[in-house]
Amino acid sequence: MAATIAAAVTGRRTLHVDDGIAVPAEAGCVVTVAFEGRYVWSFQPGRDSRGGVVAWPAALRPRLRGVTRLTLADPADGRVHLDEEVAFGSGSDRLDLADAHGHPLAVNKVGNLTRVFGETDGAVRVEILRATARVLDDLCEHGGVGAFLSYGCLLGAVREGRMIGTDCDADVCYLSDRRSPAEVILESYRLERVMRARGWGTVRMSGGDFKVLIKLADGRTVYVDVFVGFTVGETFYLLGNRSGRLPREAVVPTTTIRLEGVELAAPADPEAVLGFVYGPHWRVPDPAFKFTDPPDGVRRLDGWLRGTREALPEWNLLFRTRGDELPRKGSAFATWVRHRVHRGDVVAELGCGLGRDAAYFARHGHPVLAYDISPDARSHTAKRLRRVHRRGGAESVVRRLVLDELRTVAVTGAEIALSAERRHLYARRLVDVVGDEARRNLWRLARTALDGGDGSLFLELAAEGPLPARPEGLSRRLDPDQVVAEIEAAGGHVLHRHLGIGRDLFDEPDPWTCRLQVTWRKP
Amino acid sequence: MTDARLDRARRLVGRIRPYSSAHARIDALERELHQTRQLNRRVAELTDLVTELLVPLARRDDIEVDAVLERYRSMI
Repeated sequence: MAATIAAAVTGRRTLHVDDGIAVPAEAGCVVTVAFEGRYVWSFQPGRDSRGGVVAWPAALRPRLRGVTRLTLADPADGRVHLDEEVAFGSGSDRLDLADAHGHPLAVNKVGNLTRVFGETDGAVRVEILRATARVLDDLCEHGGVGAFLSYGCLLGAVREGRMIGTDCDADVCYLSDRRSPAEVILESYRLERVMRARGWGTVRMSGGDFKVLIKLADGRTVYVDVFVGFTVGETFYLLGNRSGRLPREAVVPTTTIRLEGVELAAPADPEAVLGFVYGPHWRVPDPAFKFTDPPDGVRRLDGWLRGTREALPEWNLLFRTRGDELPRKGSAFATWVRHRVHRGDVVAELGCGLGRDAAYFARHGHPVLAYDISPDARSHTAKRLRRVHRRGGAESVVRRLVLDELRTVAVTGAEIALSAERRHLYARRLVDVVGDEARRNLWRLARTALDGGDGSLFLELAAEGPLPARPEGLSRRLDPDQVVAEIEAAGGHVLHRHLGIGRDLFDEPDPWTCRLQVTWRKP
Repeated sequence: MTDARLDRARRLVGRIRPYSSAHARIDALERELHQTRQLNRRVAELTDLVTELLVPLARRDDIEVDAVLERYRSMI
């Protein structure tokens, strides 16, 4: 049965996750959801319900198991729609919605499960803001840009001088005077280097934003997003996805503002910036707020700045939630390849996933260079390869490769080329999960990496067939003729081609599997 | 189907065809525009590679190539 925000609940107290929350038409503008009295999520019935039901957020659903006190309330007037013990599923344990350190989690405005400021200790909030102040200082003093506090923290500072309870991170922005998106990206690259040289860890999110990692005293890592704002034509763009009219004078020269007692750089006219970001009603608290951005601005920003992390969240989720289903032993393809290379040859695995085949090659005496886009995959593989090395396996290195980004493609090709005289590339079920541009970059990488050597590129891929490739939605079947044509156009020669029964990522039989051995050796 | 109905159906198809053709053309143009926009990132990546990797490499002896590659990787 669905939870219902009508005051009287009838029937069983056992809730089914798939049923969502039933919402009567007369429900208020915003409903907050709390477990055990702690904020978890909020929604707008008018916006979020489908057929009178609001679905539980995707990030929350896997955690909805056990008994909890569910409270549905209207934050505007404090009216409580529902407050009672419910059970998700048949378990009798209390529902656990905390991180590895025991800190309560909630759903943020982009749908991720994270720790929110309302459930964060005051001293930790100040610690986060002091680190944010240092990030702003480094961007200004060492990066030479006018950076300022933005988004939720700026909103909280202007409205009440405190962080917003349902917010989860600190965001800063800087104003770029570059007028072409390519130059905006180059400036963002430069700023990331400046921050790394200052000792910060960073994660690039797009051509116009990166995260700065802050290690807290309690062991947790939080992020400060560094977003660019820039003008093209008459339109001002601000990462995430905001676009519209905002005069430069609203942003610079920067001023300062106090938040939880910490002084931080702020835009010249904070109210104007908040109006641009959140719309005219920004002064009215709305925990269920969602951005409604002009679609043409989103399209432009997507085209100019994005495209390197297309399926990454899905892969990270798969590795986190279905990692147990992925086989641990080396694959049949890895065994096939091992018999075609010499003992001790370096094997560079592109798209190593959780490292089953990387570990297999290392166990059999091949130094391994393992690459993946997913940080979850890399961290798992690195642990695994360290274990193999301790037990006498070959030494290995795990590194990041984003096939859609030429910078990592070029540096990866070069480091593999310089790694050893005898070296091979291995990519199992990779070419069928990346896009066309990434596939073309893979051929470029292979040509660089194998140049001047005798090594081969070994590929296994999902070939055309009547059933969808697995994992569905992430993998697609390819025409081997087309793949071979692309390889030959890139200067490669196919030494071996076999179409037959293979195994997918979960080791289920796949009758339409293609194996290729390719060389770039001069005939 | 009677002749009258057939004529009506033909007229309807005739009205829809140019409309769907225009939509298909707009879709194609949007895809092409997206590809053109993506060149911005490509230009930025290539410029970054030349200025931050190739130029430092050209200035070094072979023995330092590994160190230059390592440094570049640590900054991207």
